[in-house]
Amino acid sequence: MTIVTAAVIGAGVMGAGIAAHLANAGVSVLLLDVVPKEGDNRNALAEGAVAKMLKADPAPFMSKRAAKLITPGNIEDDLDKLADADWIVEAVLEDPKIKRALYERLEGVRKDGSIISSNTSTLPLSLLTKDMPDRFCGDFLITHFFNPPRYMPLLELVTGPNTKPAVLETLSAFADRRLGKGIVLCHDTPGFVANRIGTFWLQCAVVETLDRGLTVEEADAVMGRPIGVPKTGVFALLDLVGLDLMPKVDASLAATLTKDDAYQSLRRPFPLLEEMIAEGYTGRKGKGGFYRLNKSNGARVKEAVDLKTGDYAPAGKPSLASVSASRRGGPKALVAHDDKGGLFAWAVLSQTLGYAAALVPEIADDVPSVDRAMRLGYNWKFGPFELIDKLGAADFADRLKAEGKAVPPLLEKAAAADGFYRVKDGRQQVLTVAGDYADVERGEGVLLLSDVKLGSEPLAKSGSASLWDIGDGVVCLEVHTKLNTMDPDVFKIIAKALDIVGKNYKALVIYNEGSHFSAGANLGLAMFAANVGAWPMIEDMVAQGQKAYTALKRSPFPVVAAPSGLALGGGCEILLASDAVQAHAESYVGLVEAGVGVVPAWGGCKELLSRLARDPRRPKGPMPAVAAAFETIGMAKVAKSAFEARELGFLRREDDITFNRERLLADAKKKALSLVEGYQPPEPVELTLPGPSGKASLAFALRDLYAKGLATEHDMVVASELADVLTGGDDADMTEPLPEETVLKMEREAFMRLVRTPGTLARVEHTLETGKPLRN
Amino acid sequence: MHKNVVIAGYVRSPFHFASKGDLVKVRPDEMAAQVVRGLLGKTGIDPKDIEDLIVGCAFPEGEQGLNVARLIGFLADLPISVAGTTVNRFCGSSMQSIHMAAGNIQMNAGEAFICAGIESMSRVPMAGFNPLLHPGLAERFPQAYISMGETAENVAQKHQIPRARQEEFAVASHQKAAAAQAAGKLKDEIVAIQANGASVELDGCIRPDTSAAALADLKPAFSTDGSVTAGTASPLTDGASAVLVTSEDYAKAHGLKPLARLRSIAVAGCDPEIMGIGPVAASRKALERAGIAAGDLDIIELNEAFASQALACADELGLDLAKVNLDGGAIALGHPLGATGARITGKAAQLLQREGKQLALSTQCIGGGQGIATVLEAA
Repeated sequence: MTIVTAAVIGAGVMGAGIAAHLANAGVSVLLLDVVPKEGDNRNALAEGAVAKMLKADPAPFMSKRAAKLITPGNIEDDLDKLADADWIVEAVLEDPKIKRALYERLEGVRKDGSIISSNTSTLPLSLLTKDMPDRFCGDFLITHFFNPPRYMPLLELVTGPNTKPAVLETLSAFADRRLGKGIVLCHDTPGFVANRIGTFWLQCAVVETLDRGLTVEEADAVMGRPIGVPKTGVFALLDLVGLDLMPKVDASLAATLTKDDAYQSLRRPFPLLEEMIAEGYTGRKGKGGFYRLNKSNGARVKEAVDLKTGDYAPAGKPSLASVSASRRGGPKALVAHDDKGGLFAWAVLSQTLGYAAALVPEIADDVPSVDRAMRLGYNWKFGPFELIDKLGAADFADRLKAEGKAVPPLLEKAAAADGFYRVKDGRQQVLTVAGDYADVERGEGVLLLSDVKLGSEPLAKSGSASLWDIGDGVVCLEVHTKLNTMDPDVFKIIAKALDIVGKNYKALVIYNEGSHFSAGANLGLAMFAANVGAWPMIEDMVAQGQKAYTALKRSPFPVVAAPSGLALGGGCEILLASDAVQAHAESYVGLVEAGVGVVPAWGGCKELLSRLARDPRRPKGPMPAVAAAFETIGMAKVAKSAFEARELGFLRREDDITFNRERLLADAKKKALSLVEGYQPPEPVELTLPGPSGKASLAFALRDLYAKGLATEHDMVVASELADVLTGGDDADMTEPLPEETVLKMEREAFMRLVRTPGTLARVEHTLETGKPLRN
Repeated sequence: MHKNVVIAGYVRSPFHFASKGDLVKVRPDEMAAQVVRGLLGKTGIDPKDIEDLIVGCAFPEGEQGLNVARLIGFLADLPISVAGTTVNRFCGSSMQSIHMAAGNIQMNAGEAFICAGIESMSRVPMAGFNPLLHPGLAERFPQAYISMGETAENVAQKHQIPRARQEEFAVASHQKAAAAQAAGKLKDEIVAIQANGASVELDGCIRPDTSAAALADLKPAFSTDGSVTAGTASPLTDGASAVLVTSEDYAKAHGLKPLARLRSIAVAGCDPEIMGIGPVAASRKALERAGIAAGDLDIIELNEAFASQALACADELGLDLAKVNLDGGAIALGHPLGATGARITGKAAQLLQREGKQLALSTQCIGGGQGIATVLEAA
């Protein structure tokens, strides 16, 4: 069975977000809620939810068009329409009576073979299915999404004893491939996996912070980056999810966990928290939380709560020796330090990781499921067992013993052997519950470069990039600089790739497993050269980049780029130079050079122009493509999804989109292999450009933007150079198409003129220092 | 050789916001054809007698291209013998089509003309799909290509029209239009447009609730330190209009009911950077040719491209604002560039009859620095 149409019941934050993500995947969704007591519009709740999501940032939708796949309705008038749904997701109030009453109504209308699931985060499946008919129990499971459903990759699935295997199979395949979710199969235990451990960790960290007299800034400085957790740490995370959620989650877990569960002993009153919630300090959605941005007196001052007095004061920047030590020595150095940060870290990690170790196989079948849940659901860089390995399983167990604390049996086994994970014969293995090691399983269609790297040596390597044999005649070019920026060492490896693939392989895939595909050119290098006046060095870097990218384009084998995360500037231009793109749906693509005061000069202007000109939906004539490119590059537009990248022209319609990050490399490889047979490199293009007439009209548009205050002084300088490149310069005329080489030359020349201006240098410097654009 | 020329009928489509109104998905040629058919039905003229279909359009390309007037004739099932020509004088295009018909009638080159106007600002962007300026002219005389918003600011500054006065004028325009709509006074001129299975029957741009306070909150639209806002400028609009222009003799002989008689016409150029003042020179000429003074006018249709320029023109010409745009102007109703001239001239003729008055003026400003004006008298 395939899922073509779906329905979501409950248009709250989660229900609406799930509906939006289903729409992102191209599924038609019926979104229903109750009929509001007031007003004439019976669909007001669902319609309001869609309207709100269209304005939300970060956007639940990957494109405005996706919103049209949602049909809002209400549960009274539209119940019959549920007969069409292949999958019905229930996301109503966390009240078993309400849910069960709804299920009974659904049973009357839903078609045979449809799947029905609950997005509950607190109610056990056994309670929801108790005494329900067999048909329902067979087609029912829990699908627990994390907020926001588009961006959080974790999907916890819980099945009951009567759930049909085909139901689980259909749903997990769909959620994995189409929704891009990382599936974790959980047992029907309180909080399932991620929230069981996550809530314990948060509660434990709060308690230890209070007991040890740390400030919230200190606690977050320790419980964040040093252990591979997002920098929100503990308190800023609570601000993000809402302070009022904490007592609710706590009460629910406490009520369902056994009395002897370790979590129960962590519970204690937190009067300040109750006070804050009562006064509306519920976090970022309220008046503030443990932190707030004080905007009074015209300034924006970040303040933090004093946990003793409850008063806000400007947030401090804690300086802890343990945190400094962790920069080199990682979590191990952190917990080894005996300052208050190190002791706090050990107290929280020993309890939390120990708790996790005691819960396998109670909450999930195996260790990787738990690690995966925490990585994908809480954005931890390492799961609990991976963290224990970082600390050393034996050391961890020894320290617990020395402190007279219990060592869970699974941890004993890991301590006595090679830890929870090991590499054997080039393959990653994991400790099983039985105590032996087994290969870590990857699903079909999943290929990870990290696995390839465990089992092989690179074909070539520089400080900035490497080439890997990923099998079947395909080579992967991996950039591995900071933010994966492009530099001359990357170009050297591109040259190697041309040689190696040309001789012995079939195709090249450009891919890496960093958070971001590439943030662009290495600005630091350019700034350094500019500071010493080494203009020829900059010019050489521009020329080398053009040469490398052009060579990729002309290579006698297919090149497929597979971005995920940011692909900006030079990182976007390498996509444009590829024969095809296999993009992760969460790709953020843009030619943002204007933000740092230059124009794209590694072929970006040329490529975007020629792509926009080829788009048959655009009006004819020399200006539409030029005007669109001028707007996209001039405003440094960044597509906020692969779908938006397609709308802006960075992706072609024949380029493909992969939702599941773990499937990206395999999909890109498949795409590359599909292009091998009969491959012909593209011919150089000619561009019909309007010349000075077109430039004059762009200049007028620009003048109006300046008058409206939408362009700055230096924007005018940069945009004027951009207009020159995009219109083909003074000698261009629409009756004489220009060879692409001419446009490439103009890109280089405009770049070099701009990079020497004080305005551009100020922008580069500002961006390097702050990571933000300068509006000068 | 002198033949009297009369306006023997006037209709228009509802006007709607470009890009978000109810006419976004309607091709302009199709919309204009429905309006032309509406005019034929309303006046009862025998289509075989029509000499020419003259269609004004400010950006005659895309769906408005290919001599769209001829295509509108086909779409409206006009007899093959009726010719078709497309006219461009930017915003003055369809008033120009009336002037051309009048000239032809006086030259004894036809007895009856359909003078229409169209603009889908949703489907053909202002400045067209391929703006390609003369680089030399742009350099030497940049005001040739100046944006309309900037001219509105220039006029506001030069003629000292403060923002509050512009806003008061805009609010009045909306109130007059809303009152006219509520009283059913606009029904008579509107031809419902059948669009994708729906019938669009009412104007879509009027905001009855607009207040001076609400407008005062808007940011300047064209210049950071300017006085002109989206609230005191006419909106981008989709719409079509048509009037029947015949010789008075023909109208009498065929039982048509003339709304008004043309008394005089004029066009005039002015500095492009203050194009909004164009109606002053054009109206002075037309009034002089009619042998009357501004004070003699009973009815005035002064196009509201911007409140600043409309007020500056009213001040300069000494117009009584109580006689200007009785049923609201372009700020409230909308300004589908090529369709406006026929609307305001047809409207002035209709108002003469409805209000039982003697003399009327319709006039408007034109990008590039021009004005156009028509003086009408009771038929």
